[in-house]
Amino acid sequence: MLNTTKSRKAFFKTLVTFTLILFPWFFAIIYLNYVEDDTKPKQLMLKHYKVDRRKLVDHTKFEILQQDFETAHDVTEACLSCHNKTAEEFMTSNHWNWSKTDSVNGEPITIGKENVPNNYCIGIKSNEKLCSHCHAGYGWADNDFDFKAEKSVDCLVCHDNTGRYKKPGPGKGNVGAGYPDHKIDLRFIASHVGATSKKTCGYCHFYGGGGNNVKHGDLEAALLSKKDCTKEVDVHMNHEGKNMDCSECHTTSHHEISGNMYTLSTSPENATTCVQCHTDSPHKSKLLNTHFNTIACQTCHIPEYAKVNPTRVWWDWSTSGKHKDGKPYNAEDIERNDSTFQYHAKHGDLIAIKNATPDYIWFNGHADIHLFGDKFEGDTLVMNKLEGSFEDHINPAHPEHPSKIYPVKIMRGKQPYDTEHRMLLQPNTFGPKGSGAYWADFDLDKAFENGMKARNLPYSGKYDFVYTESYWPLNHMVSPSDKALSCKECHSRDGRLSKLSGFYIPGRDNNNLVDTIGILLIISALIGVVIHATIRIISKRN
Amino acid sequence: MKKQTYIYSVFERFWHWSQALLIFFLMLTGFEVHSSFELFGFESSVEWHNTAGWAFLVLIIFAIFWHFTTGEWKQYIPTLELVKAQINYYIFGIFKGAPHPTHKTRHTKFNPLQRLIYLGLKLLVIPIQVVTGFIYLSYMHPEHSVGAGNIEFIAILHTIGAFALIAFVIAHVYLTTTGEKVFMSIKAMLTGWEVVDVDEKEEYITNMKQAVEHSTAGYYRLDNEGILTQVNKAWLEIYGFNKKEDVVGNHYSATRDEKQVKVLKSIVDRVLEGEKIIGQHVVRKNKDGSIGQHILSANPIVENGKTVGLEGFILDITDMGKDSQHMYSAIRNSSAGYYRINAKGYFEEVNEAWLKIYKCDDKSNVINQHYSITRNPENAKELDAVVEKVLNGGSIASKLAIRKCKDGTVGKHILSANPVYKKDKIVGMEGFIIDVTLEEEKSI
Repeated sequence: MLNTTKSRKAFFKTLVTFTLILFPWFFAIIYLNYVEDDTKPKQLMLKHYKVDRRKLVDHTKFEILQQDFETAHDVTEACLSCHNKTAEEFMTSNHWNWSKTDSVNGEPITIGKENVPNNYCIGIKSNEKLCSHCHAGYGWADNDFDFKAEKSVDCLVCHDNTGRYKKPGPGKGNVGAGYPDHKIDLRFIASHVGATSKKTCGYCHFYGGGGNNVKHGDLEAALLSKKDCTKEVDVHMNHEGKNMDCSECHTTSHHEISGNMYTLSTSPENATTCVQCHTDSPHKSKLLNTHFNTIACQTCHIPEYAKVNPTRVWWDWSTSGKHKDGKPYNAEDIERNDSTFQYHAKHGDLIAIKNATPDYIWFNGHADIHLFGDKFEGDTLVMNKLEGSFEDHINPAHPEHPSKIYPVKIMRGKQPYDTEHRMLLQPNTFGPKGSGAYWADFDLDKAFENGMKARNLPYSGKYDFVYTESYWPLNHMVSPSDKALSCKECHSRDGRLSKLSGFYIPGRDNNNLVDTIGILLIISALIGVVIHATIRIISKRN
Repeated sequence: MKKQTYIYSVFERFWHWSQALLIFFLMLTGFEVHSSFELFGFESSVEWHNTAGWAFLVLIIFAIFWHFTTGEWKQYIPTLELVKAQINYYIFGIFKGAPHPTHKTRHTKFNPLQRLIYLGLKLLVIPIQVVTGFIYLSYMHPEHSVGAGNIEFIAILHTIGAFALIAFVIAHVYLTTTGEKVFMSIKAMLTGWEVVDVDEKEEYITNMKQAVEHSTAGYYRLDNEGILTQVNKAWLEIYGFNKKEDVVGNHYSATRDEKQVKVLKSIVDRVLEGEKIIGQHVVRKNKDGSIGQHILSANPIVENGKTVGLEGFILDITDMGKDSQHMYSAIRNSSAGYYRINAKGYFEEVNEAWLKIYKCDDKSNVINQHYSITRNPENAKELDAVVEKVLNGGSIASKLAIRKCKDGTVGKHILSANPVYKKDKIVGMEGFIIDVTLEEEKSI
């Protein structure tokens, strides 16, 4: 009797002790899983985000716009008759000059499309008639273009609200050089102008490199399509959601538009950031917010690029120019999974990919950009070296330049260089037959001679091809939060960051020696216990 | 002597099992973060590992406090003595059924090997885990300078500590089964009670203290000025007081009539000079002014060679008027004997006076013997009735009993008996006896 009371008492006491141990845990689990969830804000925390889409001015009411314009310059003059200081203002901008003053280590540097080579079409010089169809101006055909002529500003390419404005290259009755299609109704367009839109910006920015999505991989015509641009494709610009326009993030003041592309910028001056709306601690989870110090938003929130249409990742100029039966040879495209293999005589071998996984790099917002006329050594040329490293991130001497891990598209290719001067070559690609333009005459030597002459750079007549890379930070086509990367994408042995080295990531890294010895220690402890117990049992029986 | 003893306090058990749970949980979540397996999901594991880390820190702070305030830290003072013997025991002796080379007691809960290992855990492994863990935790906050730099070294150190802890847990859990019974140690860690060796001297002091506390014999203590410094409950009952505070601090004369003060004064003076009073019939004045009679024993309290007071027991005999003759005899003959028997009726403890009363030379002749050896068959039933009553919760304030001494002679004494409680269970009976055998009876 006494014994049962005692054991019941003991049991009760033990139960109380364990309840004391377990209760805080149960409480915490319930709190975290159920209670806290309810108190979490359902809405994204945004600041400084407001949109005003009201039309403040009806341009159809202005008499000066109700005329049959003879040339595009006349439209500009009509615009300037009211906006009489705007051309002056606009002519300081990148969209006019294709050149800007940036800085490298505090030293000023002039860079822009004007003097920066890329590993797509290479460069604009001697090809302006074609290239300048993306210039917000009229008549840039060669080095003689007058950058001071106010009437040459193209207001319509950005402010057209009809969607009918077009600036084709030369041919079919058009002169090119940034002039609009000779058939379009300038009167109608001029009287329907307004704020910029996805469509006006996209008219150029979606088609860089010579086709939709060729260059960026995260900026393309699908963003304009109700069908293609779902929430999954772009959480900001999809049509069911906020359907945001470019300028809502790329805030603009006096025609100075914020935003940098590190193929044409060397410093983060004037950058457009996620933080300007989302703050630097946008997550409900503190753990996720702590990643802000090391991981760019884009890294998790742009898990893939080229989600709808493929983007070019390889361009080999060295194989270009093949002819078949006396005609330039264009092979049929071969599609394999998400990759498209192409051959065009004009371009060489090309590869485009879809649903691509980004590469990841440490980046601090500064880039070292290779310019035409710069010499290089070695057999690999990185055209825009993005600066940054893990050490940079931890360097207290530069707290204002912290590196973070960013996602990038890496464009690779082979392009011509002068083997004597060790300089990249500017080919003259576009021009009529007999002019020496490569895409007409398929004579590289002549094309280089023309191109380098236009650049005022020497050409020795000896050329070869060098392997080049350019880095394209991915910023657009952000996925919804449920499609963002999960922890394990990076915190695992062969995750997305497996190529970045020199620092420790929990879950990715381990010390094999320690782990091996540790596991052996556990195994030998277990074996020791089993052997010891066995001998104990046997010796007890005996 | 082995005895069921309370060796793990509630906090110690709470600490131990919380720590066990936390280490187990930290191990599961930690190795998931290490990509060793998938269980809760990476994010949950990180969150829980961090939370558990904080919980562990709080627990450690409480545990450190507990170790120092209770003095339990002394249990971990390392000794190399018998380490070899302990290792030899685990490697060889245990298989041959050899006895444990060391004995667990309340004050040496850990064998020398345990001391070394536990101290290593407390001073090396756990501090490494806590320090590296919190540096690791600060890593994502580079604005705090601790987090600056590559955490590779810290992370690897943390991993090494984790492996060491797992190996410890395996060995620790296994070694709990090497006690006398397989689950004895685990049960002890759950309930707090374990059968361990006890220090006899210490046991005696505790038992006496308890006996005085619970006895139906009244206990008192005076300082050398004659001021009452301590009385027990029974004393208060005998005198009719409710609270100790009413008595303690007063001069003994408050307990006597004018006439009787003189008697008591002579007793006190004699005792303070070194004499022992082994039994004196006295008349007291109760609180309500009524008169009572009791037998008193008194002996000097000597500290550092100086008499600092006196103490003794009293047994009420007010209602035993017809036996007052016997009481009177007790003046010269008796001294309070203490005894203690367990619930089964076997002697656990007796004092020198008891042995003298029973004419017994050596304790060992009595301890572990049944109480029936102290009675002739014709008197046995009386004692059986007393034992039964007391073991069922009753108590006997004073009863005349006829004993059988070691040499076969009989004697008379007055006995008090009350149950011995351990927690709330009766585990035995104890009391005092005062010899009242008359001179003439003795001589027969």
